[in-house]
Amino acid sequence: MPLGSVVFAFVVGALICLVTGANPIDAYAGLVCGGLGIGCTQGENPALQISNTIVFFIPLVTTGVAVALPFRAGLFNIGAEGQLLAGSVACAAIGIKFSTLPAPILLPMVLIGGMAAGAVWAGIAGVLKATVGAHEVVTTIMLNYVAQWLVRYLIIGGPLQLGPGTSKSVPIGEGARLATLLPADNSMIIFGLPASVYRVHTGLLISLLAAAVFAFLLWRTAFGYEIRAVGQSQKAARYAGVSVRRTIIVTMLIAGAFSGLAGAVQIAGVDHNLTDKYFSDTTGFDAIAVALLGLGSAVGIILAALLFGALHSGGAIMQSDAGISSNLVLVLQALILFSIAANFVGAIRRGLPFGGAPAALPPELPPAAVLMSEAAAPPPEK
Amino acid sequence: MAQKRLRFLGVVVAAMVMAMACGGTSGGGTPTKTYKIGLVTDIGGLNDKSFNHLADLGLEKAKTDFKVQGDVKESKSGDDYIPNLTDFATKKYDLVIGVGFLMQEAVGTVSGQFPDVHFAIIDGAGTDSKGNDLKHPNVQSLYFKEQDAGAMVGVMAGWMQKNGKAKKNKHVIGAVGGISIPPVNHYIAGYKWAAKMEDPSIQVLIGYSNNFTDPAKCAGVAQSQINSGADVLFQVAGGCGLGVLQSAGKAGVYSIGVDADQKDADPSVIASALKKVDVATYTAIQNVVKGQFQGGALTFSIQNDGAGYSVDNFDVPAELKAELDKIQTQIKSGALTPPSDIPA
Repeated sequence: MPLGSVVFAFVVGALICLVTGANPIDAYAGLVCGGLGIGCTQGENPALQISNTIVFFIPLVTTGVAVALPFRAGLFNIGAEGQLLAGSVACAAIGIKFSTLPAPILLPMVLIGGMAAGAVWAGIAGVLKATVGAHEVVTTIMLNYVAQWLVRYLIIGGPLQLGPGTSKSVPIGEGARLATLLPADNSMIIFGLPASVYRVHTGLLISLLAAAVFAFLLWRTAFGYEIRAVGQSQKAARYAGVSVRRTIIVTMLIAGAFSGLAGAVQIAGVDHNLTDKYFSDTTGFDAIAVALLGLGSAVGIILAALLFGALHSGGAIMQSDAGISSNLVLVLQALILFSIAANFVGAIRRGLPFGGAPAALPPELPPAAVLMSEAAAPPPEK
Repeated sequence: MAQKRLRFLGVVVAAMVMAMACGGTSGGGTPTKTYKIGLVTDIGGLNDKSFNHLADLGLEKAKTDFKVQGDVKESKSGDDYIPNLTDFATKKYDLVIGVGFLMQEAVGTVSGQFPDVHFAIIDGAGTDSKGNDLKHPNVQSLYFKEQDAGAMVGVMAGWMQKNGKAKKNKHVIGAVGGISIPPVNHYIAGYKWAAKMEDPSIQVLIGYSNNFTDPAKCAGVAQSQINSGADVLFQVAGGCGLGVLQSAGKAGVYSIGVDADQKDADPSVIASALKKVDVATYTAIQNVVKGQFQGGALTFSIQNDGAGYSVDNFDVPAELKAELDKIQTQIKSGALTPPSDIPA
């Protein structure tokens, strides 16, 4: 199913190329070169391309997990972006305030701080859902805006602003930064380029660890069982003695912590300061596609994140090598998402992605109807 | 069309590169050398009808005048700046141009990694994460005296208020900035300064949308200025500012465009303050082709035709035209110097 979605997207993408008079083979050769470093003909450095892909891959895995976990509990976390921003803000704020502390103390502080901030951000939606029944789709979307405007305020005229006339924060202290895997050295030459151009950082290990924790939590712990039980049927779970409210709140807290971690790692590993690029960051939204495409499993999320990372880093190469606008990449992503969404209900019915609950949902119901009826439902009982 | 041409050019260049490789000569600078120019847009993209578009125009002009292969990468997000710049640098382009202030840190980083590659950046310098200019000798900063362009449209706005040629003539005009960053404030500084010079009783309302892309945000700021009596609105907010022009059109007052000639954006646009990014881009490429690349700042102003104004959907009275010419000459000669900071 997910593979079919990807193939569908690429076939339609090729048709779009043909219709607009471009050569789809050129386009995809550019994408493959830019994303995977394979078959480059115009002097691209394969190692650099792979490095770029991994840099995009890292936050997609962690936020992908943050979307997939609530999915398992039947919750739509559209707020991974806001939670990521909350984590970035906390990481930046702590990394700036305590910039003189040594790495062994400061680095855990910024990462845990980021997780805590993300958890709070998602927890608000979780508590509202569990107590007054406010639909998490609505609350998490709204909290995205709050986070975006908070970032804006903080770095434009707010307390973190670098200086008048700038739209970024003061850089975080050296101790708050995640090391790159290769030395950040302009004079050391590796694979024909200065070592500092390879920006892959130790956040890679953190994101893979996050995926592993996600899988372990879901399949090897009692709480993971409760999450899945609530996701399949709140009534049945309640009947079995699972506290639905508690499960919803804790699930959202954990999901938020993953997203917040992604944001903190992005600041600590790549940017080192909060910048205006976070106004238009879309990682948390791409994560929804990654979680869906990855069928909510850890391995699937990693593969899907790899695909999206490669598409991101390949788009620019496609544009300069094949002369095709990198907007095609956004079209491909949208097509993938579209074809998944179109198959969504069918997939649930067949019990493929989320453990399966054939009797829980009337199969003919379009997904939007499920959402709406859920939104209208009263808050869960204890 | 453009894509076909680009691909054709790519084939030609590839053939040339192969021919050169087969010849076994490694010494560059032969008379037949094709100069490779890489342009990296900021998140506005090529069709922003402004900055990135103008930079591309400069590149296209250079392609017709010199032996130049020009390639463009559009940045989809701030995450793309470093990979896009690095890719051109890796391929040993003769000049890598970053469009815009937002790319300063990325240019600072990449230019340090590739000291043999020449970089140019519109509206900024190669900086470290604290915003300090790293002064890499391989980076040329292309700055503009936006205050020159702002002053010319300020003269128009002020003159119209003083002589009762605007719509309401309450001696109130407005300026809507995107984010309060130096290039934006330079425009507003020149605008306010010149308007006050023309009409000492004028009140200049200044607001910021904190946004460069969403017209609705700027429309809100514009509306509140219109409600306060402003009848000439100057937008300094890129794509967001289109909302200013449209709001002015709806309210039946005048507006002024920015960066590029925006007369097609709305019938209310009477003039545009021009920042000739095309001239700057072209000049930077020309310098490289002629072997005259120099690190450091290059400033474009009314003096070297790198800044100015256009008259748009408006018939300028002869007296106003005379006044504009007079002020332009005085700025050109240095008799008048518009300030870079917004005057009180």
